Amino acid sequence: MSAVLEETPVPVSAPVRDGGTRAVLALARFEARRLLTSVPVVLAFAVYVAWIVWHTQNSWDGYPALQDVDRETQTMPTLVGLAVLVYANSAVLRSGRRGTESHFATLVMPPWRRTVAHVLSLVPAALLIAVCVAGQFAREAFKPGAVGHGSPAELAVGPLCVLLFGAAGVLLGRVVRSALAAPLLVVLLLFTAAFSAAPGVTDATSWLAPFVVEQSGPTLPSDLLGRPAAWHALYLAGVVLCVAFAAVLLAGGRTMTVRAGVVLSLALAVTGGVLQAGGAEASPELTAARERALVRPELTCVQRDGSTYCAFPEWEPRIDTWARTVDEVRSLAGGSAHERPLVVRQRVDATFGLAGDAAVPPSTEADRVTVGTVWGGNRVPEFSSAVAAVLVAGSEEAGGELCDGRMVTLMWLSLSWQDDPMNALSRVRLDDSVAGSATVLSPTNPMTMTEGQTDVVRHLLEKPLPGTGDRVKAHWAELTEPGVTTARAAELLGVAAPEKADSCER
Amino acid sequence: MREVTRALVGPVWRTMPWRALAAAGVLGLLTAAVPAVAGAEPDPWQTLLLLRGVALIGALGLGFLLDDPARHLTAPVPARRLLRQALRVGLVAPLAALWWTAALLLAPSASRPPAGDITLEAVVVGVLALAGAALAVRLTDEARPGPFVAAFLLLTAVLAPLLAPEDWALFVQPDDPRWSTAHDRWAVLAVVVAAAGVLCGPEPVGRGRRRAAKARRAGGPP
Repeated sequence: MSAVLEETPVPVSAPVRDGGTRAVLALARFEARRLLTSVPVVLAFAVYVAWIVWHTQNSWDGYPALQDVDRETQTMPTLVGLAVLVYANSAVLRSGRRGTESHFATLVMPPWRRTVAHVLSLVPAALLIAVCVAGQFAREAFKPGAVGHGSPAELAVGPLCVLLFGAAGVLLGRVVRSALAAPLLVVLLLFTAAFSAAPGVTDATSWLAPFVVEQSGPTLPSDLLGRPAAWHALYLAGVVLCVAFAAVLLAGGRTMTVRAGVVLSLALAVTGGVLQAGGAEASPELTAARERALVRPELTCVQRDGSTYCAFPEWEPRIDTWARTVDEVRSLAGGSAHERPLVVRQRVDATFGLAGDAAVPPSTEADRVTVGTVWGGNRVPEFSSAVAAVLVAGSEEAGGELCDGRMVTLMWLSLSWQDDPMNALSRVRLDDSVAGSATVLSPTNPMTMTEGQTDVVRHLLEKPLPGTGDRVKAHWAELTEPGVTTARAAELLGVAAPEKADSCER
Repeated sequence: MREVTRALVGPVWRTMPWRALAAAGVLGLLTAAVPAVAGAEPDPWQTLLLLRGVALIGALGLGFLLDDPARHLTAPVPARRLLRQALRVGLVAPLAALWWTAALLLAPSASRPPAGDITLEAVVVGVLALAGAALAVRLTDEARPGPFVAAFLLLTAVLAPLLAPEDWALFVQPDDPRWSTAHDRWAVLAVVVAAAGVLCGPEPVGRGRRRAAKARRAGGPP
């Protein structure tokens, strides 16, 4: 009657070792898909991509310096990062909210493995951000006027920030089991961002923030930037890993790997933090190089049509653009100025790095024009005015002190060849006006136009270019003679004399 | 009707999400008190930003107000959902008013924006949270839509200043000449949002073709 088992069943001793990893990856894939299709993240991505498309259309006036562009990619991923933080947090809390925690308890996957999956589910979002950042950078880099070099460490900050925010959301879900915690954290983060946005000198502590943009400063050659970008990327990576491992540890993952991971990533973050703090202060060599950039920079010089153009090596591709402007202005001049060889030298005040905003002093040497590191937009008429000032007054410093009728010739030379001279006139003036007295900007010290001079220049720009051009060439000697009055200049150029006499308001 | 309301006050009071409201309230007051505690004298724009942030924190708490775990049980009872929701709002309103007054008093008085106008902004964001919650309750079967409402509110708070047309001038500084017209617009916004929230209140009468189909597929009664 008794049934005899012919074979004793082999008890299953332990779950298959690999099963855990596969289950984690499957859950990570599932969570990643839910994350990337959730409404806040999709909206944030939509706004982010729209911003990239809209922003890169006219950014940098079509002449970007790539060492500035890479920093520009760092701010906007935060928007996606905040959405990822909120969603990742709610994903961690989902099982508690839905009351399915006890169902999961019967599975082979302990809570800490699920936390690993939640952390891994952030990776596709970060990769997508990396694609967007690369797209933004590539779009700028492929503009014909692009110069300089981007830094991969600066470009990595955007994706790392998103990972950091997401990991923080996961960690928060493991620490505080409340759905309100993440939104409140976001508000506090927004507060911190808004109140610490005041521009100032960046020091070691400000580099502890996820990103340090320093966008308002001058454009500098890559080797004068003095940003510890690589150490900062290392620091960020360390913090991301540390937060992620801490979340796993708090979820009960007390294995050796996790403990070692927490310690190692903490060490990584501290190393990065210390080294970036060291790099935040300008080293003596960097300070010396920055001071040299203003006084006697190491420039590459090229000859174009008799003139010499000296630029920082990164700006060499832009020399042809400058040469075209110089040729346009020179072709309008008369007398010896028509063929005069000029020396165009690039200078930048890098003494205080990106925090500085000092004007470059005008050059005292004859026939020497200064050009800055930025081009396009308003910089074109400004440079053109500097070229005209050197042709009319002899040197930049003399051009800044002009206070007579020569100013009329100067401004006409500077503006009349441009596509929209009247628009260029308003853009080159500090107050964007085309009437009254105003300050005229140039790459170095500004110049001054009186009300009468403005009227004459405006009348001249309204007349056809060839007629005035012939008059300028015919009367060049008298027009550029020191002391010529604005009324005399107007008479020579065939427009009505101004009502008011010259009086420079200084 | 009146008796039902009176009878409902106690149970509704007990089922309100007090923890979320308290957390938001405490954090909001702490934030408002930061300048006073730190002894800082912020600029007017900073105080304005601070108060707007405090209002947002409070609104995040209010977004959880319509969370009702018993929602599916109470759907068929005679007391309508609009009444129960209105009761919740009515019960929390005096507390919210007290809380906002305290926040205003805690904020640095020297640089405080006009109290009435900033209160109007706070009302709009609070009403927006409630309307969002009502909309979520109306459109989904979710018993606790709080997290979604909070996410939606945050997204709005981040994107509205970025995307709102410059002409609307909703987020201007007190010294801006458009401040008063901007607050007329805020008032209109408050009315519109509140009306939208009230419209979302009633339980849908017909079950709707889609829901019925879904229920049939799930094997339940049509």
